Amino acid sequence: MSLQTYGWLVLLFPLGGTVLIALTWSVLPWKLHGYLGTLAIFLSFLCAVGALFELQDRGEEERQVVTVAWDYANTVGVDAQLSLLLDPLSVFMALVVSGISTLIHLYSVSYMASDRGYTRFFAYLNYFVFSMLLLVLAGNFFFLIVGWAFVGAASYLLISFWYRRTTATAAGIKAFVINVVGDVGLVLGTYFIFKRTGSLDFLRAFEGVQEFSRNEGDLVAGCLLLLVGAFAKSAQVPLHTWLPDAMEGPTPVSALIHAATMVTAGVYLIARMHPFFEQAPAAADVGAILGCATLLIAASIGLVVTDLKRVIAYSTMSQIGYMVMGVCSAAYAAGLFHLMTHAFFKALLFMAAGSVIAAMAGEQNLDRMGGFRRAMPFTFGCMVIGGLALAGVPPFAGFFSKDEILSLVIAREDWHVVLGVLGFVGSLLTAIYTWRMIFRAFFNEPVEQAHELEHGHLYHAPEHTNPATGEVEDTDVGFPGPDHHIAEREWSMKVAMALLAVGAVFAGVLQIPKVTDVLHTFLEPSFHDSRYYESLEPSDGLTWIGLAVGALLALSGIALAYRLWVQDRARPGAIRARLAAVHGFLVRKWYFDELIDAVVVRPFAWFGRFARDVFERVVVNGIVVGGPTGAVRAGSAAVRAVQSGFLRYYAALLLVGVTGLGLYFLIAAS
Amino acid sequence: MNIEWYLVVSALVFCIGAGGILVRRNPLVILLCLELMLNAGNLALVAFARAHGNQDGQIFALVVMVVAACEVAVGLGLIVAIYRRRLPIDVDELRELQG
Repeated sequence: MSLQTYGWLVLLFPLGGTVLIALTWSVLPWKLHGYLGTLAIFLSFLCAVGALFELQDRGEEERQVVTVAWDYANTVGVDAQLSLLLDPLSVFMALVVSGISTLIHLYSVSYMASDRGYTRFFAYLNYFVFSMLLLVLAGNFFFLIVGWAFVGAASYLLISFWYRRTTATAAGIKAFVINVVGDVGLVLGTYFIFKRTGSLDFLRAFEGVQEFSRNEGDLVAGCLLLLVGAFAKSAQVPLHTWLPDAMEGPTPVSALIHAATMVTAGVYLIARMHPFFEQAPAAADVGAILGCATLLIAASIGLVVTDLKRVIAYSTMSQIGYMVMGVCSAAYAAGLFHLMTHAFFKALLFMAAGSVIAAMAGEQNLDRMGGFRRAMPFTFGCMVIGGLALAGVPPFAGFFSKDEILSLVIAREDWHVVLGVLGFVGSLLTAIYTWRMIFRAFFNEPVEQAHELEHGHLYHAPEHTNPATGEVEDTDVGFPGPDHHIAEREWSMKVAMALLAVGAVFAGVLQIPKVTDVLHTFLEPSFHDSRYYESLEPSDGLTWIGLAVGALLALSGIALAYRLWVQDRARPGAIRARLAAVHGFLVRKWYFDELIDAVVVRPFAWFGRFARDVFERVVVNGIVVGGPTGAVRAGSAAVRAVQSGFLRYYAALLLVGVTGLGLYFLIAAS
Repeated sequence: MNIEWYLVVSALVFCIGAGGILVRRNPLVILLCLELMLNAGNLALVAFARAHGNQDGQIFALVVMVVAACEVAVGLGLIVAIYRRRLPIDVDELRELQG
């Protein structure tokens, strides 16, 4: 098959899976839908692999292929085609998305097995993968925006999957609203670029970038608006508040959407739009600085959060901060490399966390966990591998990818050096919060649930409660059903986690500094027009220092966490008491929710009330609507008053009228 | 004989009928007053026919009589129906169809 066919098949399978599951949910046995969904995504992954081989068979210059299915609309200069752009970047993203999604589907087959919404879940999940693949394979802005919006919708559906949970539906709405803010940014940014280049097609728009002078107002505005879109999807400051709340969704959803795939869409967008960002360095600088701010802010919050999944969520934000900082500083291959390794170990961490949460019967609070090491050896092993990779301990995957970003950012010189150094600070924090979570969940004295599990009995809560609020909820649409599934007892969860663990350990091999250069070479055709792609390279000394410092920071962070949360466990409490103000500030998440509430929500709510009370009630209802209706009402009241029902009155009117008429004619005639 | 006298009598009878309709409440009397008005019209028609010297007015007067007979039949029928349903024989009381 040709490359184009593979490209369309990659999209077709998840779409087919969605439709098939949605239409046959009542016909086929429910258990089958999980496997159907997994199979659809797996076939999509195989097609992506096929596309990869086809792409590699081509010459260096022919590795950017546009395939058009049909013209959706072609009018007044707007040419909206249903077209795919198949180049190393999009195929790479398709591979990551479909590959990780396959494993997450496989995990969900067991994890969600006793959920009443099992088939609905897989239909949504397939729909999400379809949207995401549409986003990464799109060949023009039109298609990109469609995929972008679809992903937001799928995210909303999956976050509020347990729709009886008020916290879940609220989180879904929050995510959707913030994502729509991003959609608007993307559409407006597209407008600015389209205005000058006159083409929605990526490749032609890239050629048109020379139209712009460097840092021209239009282009900077367009790129900043694209950044708004990217930041909303990728949960970067200040549009990040939806991501921690999105942890209300089922754990596989957190793993799929809010760690491995959807939140990386922003990174992909910036990498894809690199010709514009290189022509508008001002916008790229803003992105790099905000990415750096995000990675520090999220890491600092991760230090104090006590919700197991939210710790990982903040770490996701933080890691995506690294990627955004990387791609905005022209470290494209490094950023995408980190995207891939992060997908592996973050999905792994979420799956392990899901297993622990199942063992705790839905409880997510780290304060109530402890000592699961012996009860859940497999989960523990996966968590350790994920934790080592996330902290950046050599030779795990995260070590190479994170340090490559940082050394390339420092190689940009000037003030980028500051960003790189702050990135190293962030990597120390990463190691501390990651291992704080692992030590608290798996070390120390086993809690009651861990004890029971050691004796072969899985703990079940007497009644299910919402982990966020403690409200009692029914298991029909609450925590995945009345039964829980842990990785130790389910083969599909085990297989998915084991494969991801292998990826988390060995994915770094692709891009060892000065040794292998697989990803960089592979992605080269997509970045052939980049000013920095080939030239930006850290010196040997910088590379080695970066690697050494990174490894040292990671190990010392882990050691510090071990000291604080295993050896000297009175210390964290004492530190917290001494730094109560800082702790409170971090626990309230830097007051971002309150800030957005005060700056955006309240003024808009006030404006809405003003519009309702003054504009709607007085102007619209009072004058525009009230005037004509009042006139009609007064007229009809007068006419109605005449209709008294007195026969003699009618007769009198008649007589008076006829007499009046007669007199008139008489006078007129004489 | 001059035509004015006929017309004066006709107008007088017409006004008596109209005044009766306006002041009386009994539908039977109203019907009688209506007859007065119609016959006042007839008188005027016949007088004009005489004055003009052709028969058109007389034919028209005959048509009016037929219509008057029909109207009396319908009106009396209504009054009998009202009486049978034990409703008050008073047009001021019968005002349920008011707007």
